[in-house]
Amino acid sequence: MEQRLANTLNMTVNEKKFIESALLSDLRVDGRRPFDYRKLSIIFVREDGSSEIQLGQTRVMGFVTGQLVQPYRDRPNEGTLAIYTEFSPMADPSFESGRPGESAIELGRIVDRGLRESRAVDTESLCVISGKLVWSIRIDLHIIDNGGNLVDASNIAALAALSTFRRPECTIGGEDDQEVIVHPPEVREPLPLIIHHLPVAVTFGFIGKENIVVIDPTHHEEGVMGGSMTATLNTNGEVCAIQKAGGEGVLQSVIMQCLRIASVKAADITSKIKNAVESYNTERSLRKIKRHNPSLTAVKNK
Amino acid sequence: MEYVSPEGLRLDGRRPLEMRQLRAELGAVSRADGSAVFEMGNTKVIAAVYGPREVQQRSQHLNDKALIRCEYTMANFSTGDRMRKPKGDRRSTEISLVIRQTMEACILTHLMPRSQIDIFVQVLQADGGTRSACINAATLALADAGIPMRDLVTSCSAGYLNSTALLDLNYVEDSAGGPDVTVGILPKLDKVTLLQMDAKLPMDIFENVMQLATEGCKAVANYIREVLIENTKQLENRRGV
Amino acid sequence: MEAKPSSTSPSTFVDQLVVPGDVILDLSSMANQTIKLGGGLRQDGDSISVMKAGNLRFTKPNKYWVESSHKRYVPNAGDNVLGVVVDTKPENFLVDIKGPALAFLPVLAFEGGTRRNIPKFEVGTLLYVRVVNANTGMNPELSCMDANGKAAEYGVLKEGYMFESSTGLSRTLLSSPPYPVLEALGKKLSFEIAVGINGRFWVNASQSSTVILVGNAIQKSESLSLVQQKIYLEKLLKNIQ
Repeated sequence: MEQRLANTLNMTVNEKKFIESALLSDLRVDGRRPFDYRKLSIIFVREDGSSEIQLGQTRVMGFVTGQLVQPYRDRPNEGTLAIYTEFSPMADPSFESGRPGESAIELGRIVDRGLRESRAVDTESLCVISGKLVWSIRIDLHIIDNGGNLVDASNIAALAALSTFRRPECTIGGEDDQEVIVHPPEVREPLPLIIHHLPVAVTFGFIGKENIVVIDPTHHEEGVMGGSMTATLNTNGEVCAIQKAGGEGVLQSVIMQCLRIASVKAADITSKIKNAVESYNTERSLRKIKRHNPSLTAVKNK
Repeated sequence: MEYVSPEGLRLDGRRPLEMRQLRAELGAVSRADGSAVFEMGNTKVIAAVYGPREVQQRSQHLNDKALIRCEYTMANFSTGDRMRKPKGDRRSTEISLVIRQTMEACILTHLMPRSQIDIFVQVLQADGGTRSACINAATLALADAGIPMRDLVTSCSAGYLNSTALLDLNYVEDSAGGPDVTVGILPKLDKVTLLQMDAKLPMDIFENVMQLATEGCKAVANYIREVLIENTKQLENRRGV
Repeated sequence: MEAKPSSTSPSTFVDQLVVPGDVILDLSSMANQTIKLGGGLRQDGDSISVMKAGNLRFTKPNKYWVESSHKRYVPNAGDNVLGVVVDTKPENFLVDIKGPALAFLPVLAFEGGTRRNIPKFEVGTLLYVRVVNANTGMNPELSCMDANGKAAEYGVLKEGYMFESSTGLSRTLLSSPPYPVLEALGKKLSFEIAVGINGRFWVNASQSSTVILVGNAIQKSESLSLVQQKIYLEKLLKNIQ
């Protein structure tokens, strides 16, 4: 039993009472207002298709890889998208290594629902030979540090990694158009994925008897909240997915208000992702120039 | 494909705002402390509740409230093709988590500390709306077991196809790729406890669809209330009151 | 790097940063002397080597120790710490003090404590306690009385909020002359603060905003130099009347 006690977050009753009473004056423990997000930083590691997101103290890494596989029988013209989450005990002592726990599966499914059902990634362009060979995109999300609100951070990691992922170009040749030649990146420039829109997840927590709403809950606030809701929206004003899995009941008007706030935050986060991706792409093309023209590097380094 | 005909009839002959036929039966599993069978059209679900009883794994007991466990499975024969892995896959784990958290919102857990309540839900026939049927069945089973609850929890789903909001989707309408909104409410308090949605919808249309699903939930709540009153009357008659 | 101290002068590493493995004293050249070793040092045959990275300190006549700052705490008898109750047993309360093992607080270790008036601490209660003994391999023992058996200031801390810090910051907060950040905050705001040497401190004030301000200011100031602290505090306190 001592082992279980050692793994859980030992919250004091003072913290619970304080978080609730501070919220009555619109204050949160880290100094934020109820509808402020923590500082978000999006960094791209060298390779295409990998991102590192830091939201406050929460850190998540996303990796996107592609493989040529056979398509599903009922969808012969479409590629596939799969999301895998890795909750290592390094991030939080209450995570157990081995089989994914409930929260890991729930997180994977929320991110998956936001991307797949809303058709954010164009899967038809991933088809190489109809019925025989399609690209299967796999997104791996690794949680490095659990500071609260893993859903939003993982979603941003997935979107950022997808935006910078490039798959090799293939041409169909040979007799009967059945042979596929996969061109290595040095020969032909790899292609990015076609992404129609960015579904951004915004998580709300409901704290206390009056169900005060906070956005982007920290680890301590998650230990105190009575319920949570994640709304995934894009900048076209469309709701892509909602997940409110039980917990305290809230009025419908509160839900609609949360959705309106979420669309504002989603626009903000989308622009941050787009800016980060743009600067990454510029840097990437600059690197290509450096490779082909060594004399230019001498000028640049001055 | 046309899901709503120009005359306003759906594929199974219903109107857009019409729910499927509901049928409920209490006490189906004699061994369980509480059980119920719930049917919404062709979707049939059975729920069994055991508890409150001693926590089976001593290390997991909670000092101040009851531990709620929930398991959702689909029978191999519930869908058209025989399913190889009826439980333990990601979808079942997520739905088990959703049902557990939804029922936790209405059970007065602080009245039964250090105990455990198990809810088992199994889908016998799946024709769309299985999540909602499971929650309705679980509510009835918990009431049958006499577990103290804050309010009933009822659930219903709604969608939006061919520019029309449709109530209580069946399997064909659900797999059309359009939006699917599942709502679970506490009817007397008029509060939303479960809300899940996928596929894209503009926000104002979403509000209409959610409102429609909530109305469906209230209709289910009325039906469940009638079933419970009927059942209690029968129990009283048997006791000779 | 080897230390070649003369037989009466202290090690050349004093007040310098040392890392595990550094040999600070060679005993073969020092006969008939008693050296007292504090935390972070161990004796390996004839040499004294460092176990933990930090600053090597020396006080006359012969005490050496390594001053370091970590997130976890090594229990020592006589320390005042902040603990959180995690469980109650018939004879003891189990208290978490951020050490290698949970600590035991006997139910009678309170001023005027008898079997009739055992306090009821629920899980999550925050306590200011004294470490009575901490032998390696055993759970540390705590007490809510000072050495004379009086309650002094030990006991439950109500209201307020507990912040986590490092052992180094706790020592700085308890040092004399007082920490400049605490002084500056105390001039403008009124609050109470309890510091546990185990890397926790508790702040309470009449307004939640004061608590949040003080707690965050102390946590942030740990990584700032003296000059930066002054600038940071000036900016912070300018906005408060």
